[in-house]
Amino acid sequence: MAKLEIKQDLKSLNNMKAEENRNKFKSHGIYVINMMGSPGAGKTTLLENILPRLSVHLRTAVIEGDLATQNDALRIEKTGVTALQINTEGGCHLDSEMIENQLRKLDLDSLDLIIIENVGNLVCPASFDLGEDMRMVVLSVAEGEDKPAKYPTAFLHADTAVITKTDLLPYVGVDVNVMKKYITEINPKTVIFETTKKDGVYMADQLVEYIIDQARRKKGI
Amino acid sequence: MNLILVDLKVYRLYNNRMVIQMHETALMKNMLATVEQAIENHHVTRINRVVISVGKLANVMPDALSFAFEAMTQDGIMKGAKLEIKSSPAVARCDECGYEYQADGFPIVCPVCKSRGFRIISGEEVYIESIECEE
Repeated sequence: MAKLEIKQDLKSLNNMKAEENRNKFKSHGIYVINMMGSPGAGKTTLLENILPRLSVHLRTAVIEGDLATQNDALRIEKTGVTALQINTEGGCHLDSEMIENQLRKLDLDSLDLIIIENVGNLVCPASFDLGEDMRMVVLSVAEGEDKPAKYPTAFLHADTAVITKTDLLPYVGVDVNVMKKYITEINPKTVIFETTKKDGVYMADQLVEYIIDQARRKKGI
Repeated sequence: MNLILVDLKVYRLYNNRMVIQMHETALMKNMLATVEQAIENHHVTRINRVVISVGKLANVMPDALSFAFEAMTQDGIMKGAKLEIKSSPAVARCDECGYEYQADGFPIVCPVCKSRGFRIISGEEVYIESIECEE
């Protein structure tokens, strides 16, 4: 019997394509966000509310990932932003090759920002680099303050965390500061934002400004 | 929960229906491709064992890996092969003093200078280490 040493990372195929995507984004000056979170965290609602403001400053496109349906892409297109839908047909995450395939459908020279809404799942998407600049984790206060501690690998590489639905705090018995503490315990560099609905208006001013600033920095303007 | 997912995956693999397909299946597909490439220039007649090392932070369930492995090695050169899964630790490198240490849990703190700044340098990978085969 012979033994063959192989020594290869099984994620290397995905990582190689992710690097190709990253180079492509860089050469076109496009800032890319990989947004992940549980189903119901409020990812699409967040997008619906920040896109009209982002798209005033940045030429934006969205890539939506779900197991099935075109629903989210249709919701996004109502904001006037181009949206492409990936259906993973059972797959629990997006990978870098799926993104590469979608990039062929976009005119990259006419874009400043691409936001990828990953499949609603707080486990698997964390393991698959897509070539993004910012990894954003979205979680709602209704998910419980110790969610980050229970799903640490999702937060480990989070550049930003967005805590949504803070208007529900009085009803769900969650201390938002404890939730934030859990997030920074996993990664002290994660920048945390809160979004809320006040008098029917969705508030996410700081997040919008932050994204615009980061995208402009990448473009060098 | 895991049991339910595994059950669903049976359907995916054997009935080809649209149900949950975990990422462990995707990794096992990569494993098959990697092994095929590795044996290209050898006269391998049979593969008896595949040794894989899974990082503590890899987000991979060994049971799901084994399950996918079994389902994908029903025939061909790997028929009946055994999968051995080893666990590899998470290793962090301190941003401040450069010390490399095993990160066993959160928060991750440098044992030397107590800094909270770190970079994970290993423990997120799923490595195929070696195969045992007959030539």
